[in-house]
Amino acid sequence: MSVPVMTVPGEPPAAPAGVAVRAAGLRKTYGKGETAVRALAGVDVAFARGEFTAIMGPSGSGKSTLMHCLAGLDTASAGQVWLGDTELTALHDDSLTALRRQRIGFVFQAFNLLPVLPARENIVLPMQLAGQRPDPVWFDDVVARLGLRERLGHRPHELSGGQQQRVAIARALLPRPDVVFADEPTGNLDSRSGAEVLGLLRSSVRETGQTVVMVTHDPSAAAYADRVVLLADGLLAGELTDPTAESVLDALRGLGA
Amino acid sequence: MRSVLLAQLRAHAARLVASTLAIVIAVGFVVATLVLNATARSTVLEAVGAQYVGAAAVVTSTDGSSLTADVDALSGLGSVAAVAPSYETSVQAGVPGRGGSQYLFVESVADDAALRWQRMTEGSLPDGPGEVAVSERARAEVGDVLSVTSYDQNGEETASEVTVTGIVDLGGDPQAGLYGRAFVTADQARQWGAIDPVELRIAAAPGVGDEQVRSDAATAVGDRQVEVLTGTERADEAAANMLGNAMALTAVLLVFGTVAVVVAGLVIANTFAVLLAQRTRELALLRCVGATSRQVRRSVLGEALATGLVSAAIGAAAGIGLAAAVSALVGGADAPIPLAGLSVPWYAPLAGVLVGTLVTFLAALAPARAATRVAPLAALRPVDQAPLRSRAGILRLVLGLVLLLPGIGLMALGVTAGDVLIALPGGVLSFLGVVLLAQRGVPPVVAAAGRLAGRLGGVPARLAAGNATRNPRRTAATATALLIGVTLTSAFVVGAASTRATAQAGLAAEFPTDVVVEGFTGDLPATLVSTLTATEGVERTASVLAGSVTGPDGEPTGAFGVDRSEAAAALRSTEDLVLPGPGQASVPEWLAQTWGVADGDRLALGGGNPDVEVPAREFTVRVIDADNPLLLDTAELRTLAPDATLGQVWVRLAGSDPEQQLDAVDRITDVVAETSSDTQVTGLVAMRAEIDEILDALLLVVTGLLGIAVVIALIGVGNTLALSVVERRQENGLLRALGLTRGQLRGLLAWEAVLVAGVAAVLGVLIGGAYGLIGAASVLGEIGTIVLDVPWLQIAVIVVVATLAGLLASVLPARRAARTSPVAAIAA
Repeated sequence: MSVPVMTVPGEPPAAPAGVAVRAAGLRKTYGKGETAVRALAGVDVAFARGEFTAIMGPSGSGKSTLMHCLAGLDTASAGQVWLGDTELTALHDDSLTALRRQRIGFVFQAFNLLPVLPARENIVLPMQLAGQRPDPVWFDDVVARLGLRERLGHRPHELSGGQQQRVAIARALLPRPDVVFADEPTGNLDSRSGAEVLGLLRSSVRETGQTVVMVTHDPSAAAYADRVVLLADGLLAGELTDPTAESVLDALRGLGA
Repeated sequence: MRSVLLAQLRAHAARLVASTLAIVIAVGFVVATLVLNATARSTVLEAVGAQYVGAAAVVTSTDGSSLTADVDALSGLGSVAAVAPSYETSVQAGVPGRGGSQYLFVESVADDAALRWQRMTEGSLPDGPGEVAVSERARAEVGDVLSVTSYDQNGEETASEVTVTGIVDLGGDPQAGLYGRAFVTADQARQWGAIDPVELRIAAAPGVGDEQVRSDAATAVGDRQVEVLTGTERADEAAANMLGNAMALTAVLLVFGTVAVVVAGLVIANTFAVLLAQRTRELALLRCVGATSRQVRRSVLGEALATGLVSAAIGAAAGIGLAAAVSALVGGADAPIPLAGLSVPWYAPLAGVLVGTLVTFLAALAPARAATRVAPLAALRPVDQAPLRSRAGILRLVLGLVLLLPGIGLMALGVTAGDVLIALPGGVLSFLGVVLLAQRGVPPVVAAAGRLAGRLGGVPARLAAGNATRNPRRTAATATALLIGVTLTSAFVVGAASTRATAQAGLAAEFPTDVVVEGFTGDLPATLVSTLTATEGVERTASVLAGSVTGPDGEPTGAFGVDRSEAAAALRSTEDLVLPGPGQASVPEWLAQTWGVADGDRLALGGGNPDVEVPAREFTVRVIDADNPLLLDTAELRTLAPDATLGQVWVRLAGSDPEQQLDAVDRITDVVAETSSDTQVTGLVAMRAEIDEILDALLLVVTGLLGIAVVIALIGVGNTLALSVVERRQENGLLRALGLTRGQLRGLLAWEAVLVAGVAAVLGVLIGGAYGLIGAASVLGEIGTIVLDVPWLQIAVIVVVATLAGLLASVLPARRAARTSPVAAIAA
């Protein structure tokens, strides 16, 4: 699929070499008529390759919807989304599904793992669905970095919350996806496990150049990111680079949250 | 709590569809059986008992002695309005325009209008001698003059003519089609040779009750060999005599009804278990906000009761509808089952509703108990994923073994003793044991099958294998419901096949000839043999010489002469019909007894024709268990009876297809009729075909009935899957997010269904096959040599159909699952 190289008014410059994911004029409306809810009201955003970005905003700001649309989990009402050179908004369900298992990794807040499968099977599941064999060296590397070597044979209910999230991260990293999307990955964890998970996400960006986009409402979580994108009422509301918990908190206060 | 209960019912109505359907089918089946039975009864009562229904009392002589003398005495009673003695006889009658004469059963018509029960299609009942009303079967018209030949008690023949005054409607009487019936005055009946009446029907005086008439009549006739009943009692008795066999059929149907109810019970219990498991958090929340565990239990059981009541009521209505359809279908066709109209006994819908409600209630008890054990805190915890082991499981294991092992012992004993009465309770016990143990045994088998499927079907199959075993109890209950149906079906299929094989082997020994051609007067044209041999479909023939010899008692007896090698080739079996060689005589048992000879004795036979002098010859006796004359070697019979002629030709038919063989019998009949008019062709092959046909029909009916149980069980499979889909909404969303395509998700559900249904089908066929063989062995053991036969094709069909049906059951849940948006996983 070709990518438009010229600059169209109202769109950000097309596909700079270092952009992993970007959206243009992204709108999403739920429902119809008077009960319609406008979750995204026209968002233009880009995420650089090898960067750890946090999307922040108050409840109802549209941050989860933005992530779902960026990740090809939900369809946009209008606008476009590109993953690298591929326009997601032009794909139908099966191609989108195939793209998800090969080029996108996911870490969710809860219910990340299939209860019937042991950790190892959960980790390789997307690659198996794509009919691929994981590179054993890379597999060992990922598992070692996440400290899961002793836990590979365990089923999810035999693992702690932090361990479950680490299994989910391993699964997300294994296919070396274009981007890893994390939706409130520490939402269900105690602060120590949460810090551990965030540290692991950041080191995957630092050490292997993995692109990570994380949705969170926790300023101290956002502080692990290289950049914070702020969202309010379905629109971009500014961004911070090299955030700290305090600067994020201040920015959020500025949004009236 | 009632408002909560009602809200629950409304909210979960869709999920209750499966259990509702199961109850509706099971209850419908039971109610239809009861209604059809009652309809058959009332149909027969109206027809067979019609003459009694209008009578207040009926006096019947139990020793056949005349009741003529009682007529006046009874008529004189104050409570009696009229007495009608029943005169019965039979005549041969010729109807104008139709060749030959037909048998008519003649009954007298009462003088009193109250005792005239006949419904007229046309015309009226006779008023005097020379008039007759006939049933439709006689095919006469009003105004026809019948030429009647009657016989008096000494057999003297009398000819007379009578005019038809009316046609009587005997609708519903199962015997109405067998022969014509004639209704005449008592005087006419006596003229036609009717003997003194042995039955009197009595009409009550105005305002007098039947029971009063009965007791007055009983006092009047005194203490004799006489039975005095009210008209209704007598009608019931007549109907019961007629329906003896139909009652046995009802019993069989009710057994299958019970099976359907039990299977429905399993499906319902499963539905409730899953419904409640899903609502754990909801119930816990109720507990959190202050509901006592009793209130929760009452709410859950109330839901079961309401569901049971509503679905059982629908089922009862459906059952009555089904019975009406069957009655209309059978009544229209020329079936031997007496059904007309529809009579719904009050107890049928009541029993159906009660059974349905009770089964639902009982099925919900265990899940309700489990639900009330929910701690209020469970509302706040995420769903528990770890499977549980319970003491109930161990209890079930022990109880299952306690039932299974003695059951198997009894069956083994039954097979060795060849006594079905020992094997039957063993079968019931062990089957209950199997059902209990299935809860334990099925999940590991599903897991093993799942590993195998995982190799074949890739990731979706591996996931399905995991899913199918993650809730062992539910999988087991789902599979067990199907297992019961499949087990019983295959038991019947295998049992019937073995019965048929055994029957055929027995028939071959008893009737070793396919076709016998014989002359009425004893001799057949010698050219017949070559004509028959040339007939299409004939494989071999053997000539049988018929002549007369003199036995050791000096009396002449008929004997057959056969050529051993020629005859052996034409016979299916020489097990019973042992063929003699030179110097041997095969003596049938009855003759051996007359002559007082046994196996190995020497027997001297002389010539059968006193006019021809023939020297006696000696034979070695072989007593045979066959129904034919003395058998000798052809050459020796010729010496003893030089005038012996061709008595029979034994024919062996080619091939084994019953249709073709019956065609061949027809051709033989034609060929023989051309050659000689004085011959009889007996196709024993027809008899074998007939036994096959009866077994086939029986098997078809039984399989159809058990099919209902299988259908209910498959609803259970679909139900379990549908609930799994609801339960695993998040999980399926996650899988979709991680890259499982819609098609793969549907495949996952299909694999799960195939695993559960396939394992249930295979296990059911194995267990059922064993039961079928054991059943056949113990039933037929009493009869003689058993030939066991496994109809592999039918068995394979059962497995394939059950598995495919399971696959079909997965279609709707799979469609629903495929619609799951990946976002559902995150938006928990």
